Amino acid sequence: GFDNWNVLIIVFTEMRDKLRKWREDNHRNSEQIVDVGEELINEHASKLGDDIWIIYEQVMIAALDCSRDDLAWTCLQELKRQFPGSQRVKRLAGMRLEALEKYEDASKQYDSILQDDPTNTAARKRKISILKAQGKSAEAIRELNEYLEQFVGDQEAWHELSELYINEHDYGKAAFCLEELMMTNPHNHLYCEQYAEVKYTQGGLENLELSRKYFAQALKLNNRNMRALFGLYMSASHIAACPKVNATVKKANVRYAAWATNQINRAYQVSHAMCCVLLKQ
Amino acid sequence: MGEVELSCLAYVKMYLHACLFPRCSVNGLLLSSSPAGGAVCVTDCVPLLHTHLPLAPITQLALTQVDVWCAQTQQRIVGYYQANACVSDSSPTPCALKIADKIAEQCNNAVLLMIDGGKMSPDYRVPPIVMYERKDTRWTLKDKHTIMLRQWEETRDIASQLLDSGDHSLLVDFDSHLDDITRDWTNQKLNAKIAELASPANDNLGVCQLGNPVLR
Repeated sequence: GFDNWNVLIIVFTEMRDKLRKWREDNHRNSEQIVDVGEELINEHASKLGDDIWIIYEQVMIAALDCSRDDLAWTCLQELKRQFPGSQRVKRLAGMRLEALEKYEDASKQYDSILQDDPTNTAARKRKISILKAQGKSAEAIRELNEYLEQFVGDQEAWHELSELYINEHDYGKAAFCLEELMMTNPHNHLYCEQYAEVKYTQGGLENLELSRKYFAQALKLNNRNMRALFGLYMSASHIAACPKVNATVKKANVRYAAWATNQINRAYQVSHAMCCVLLKQ
Repeated sequence: MGEVELSCLAYVKMYLHACLFPRCSVNGLLLSSSPAGGAVCVTDCVPLLHTHLPLAPITQLALTQVDVWCAQTQQRIVGYYQANACVSDSSPTPCALKIADKIAEQCNNAVLLMIDGGKMSPDYRVPPIVMYERKDTRWTLKDKHTIMLRQWEETRDIASQLLDSGDHSLLVDFDSHLDDITRDWTNQKLNAKIAELASPANDNLGVCQLGNPVLR
């Protein structure tokens, strides 16, 4: 009766809002998106209005992630029919080819987009993703560097490049990318903390001191960042233990490490965490 | 000779770790509750990272923490596992070799295990793993006949069941623990779930008993 109808409307709006939130947050929870999205498309398509097209796109990409080519194909057909000749839909078709590991065909698809629109950043990034998927890291790095010369403000690209360099153990270049990111995002604690980790990995007294500073900076920006807290403890401890440092520096770092130990132990006690850290001084 | 046995518990958690983060490289430590000497019995594992595997601080931290936990629970670190994000290449990365080297310093017959992502689908009838051992100073491929997985079919089925039921999301690796320190990286909850699914005859999930070689 009337009650059931109300419940259905609530359920439907909840589902639609969930999908929107995941879209806005750029969440890659593909299995959930497929679950919710498939039902929405199958049961409630008529109620979605113009939202349906962006939902088809969102669900299609999620479907590719979950190897649901049947669902991806359905969404793609709907989008092709509604937006014939669209570059955006062409890119989705390319992504489907990538998911099927038809990399040459996918690349051709993106090349055709770039022929019509050489500034299409999405197509260029997809081509780089193909190189990554094929394990061609050196080429991916080269292409991404070229891309960034043209599109120097693309944060996502800088971060992707830093990840590629880390995987290649090229820590100096990874640090450079993270420096770019920190400059344009001074309040982002994650970039500080990742930079500190790279510096720590590079090793040597100078890098350790830099790493300690940036772990501390990350903590200033977010005092709940556990990686930064542990990083501060470890970098300060290592500096204090280094035979090259003078007494003043040693004393200061012993103090930093002690402070970090305190904070870590408190965090574990407060959260009643099962796994207790045994940090001795 | 160097026989290695992999317990159901260790295999299932390693496998689920790889499944939980399909787009990332993941790694972890292999543990043994058996005394040193003779065959290596991998009775458990601790999933470590799914981000920035080559970076030092968190890896060092995790190694220290696991070391302490092992001392408390009469276990030893006997190996290392890794699954590469790129499924077309399951060879050990430099960072895998580095960590495995470190483990080998403390453990004579340490093993390096790579999960072969390309062979993880249900069509494959054998465990999707490749094992290496240290000969002189190099990590060399182990003879398949020296690797044993007791009751492989049951192990494989338990892993599939947990995947289907979504329970693989119960798995906590060290990275996830750092994101939320209330989450238990020793995975007691998941261990209990795995024990539930095992048959009464196989209630010694984490115990080794050299049986017939399954890997051919």
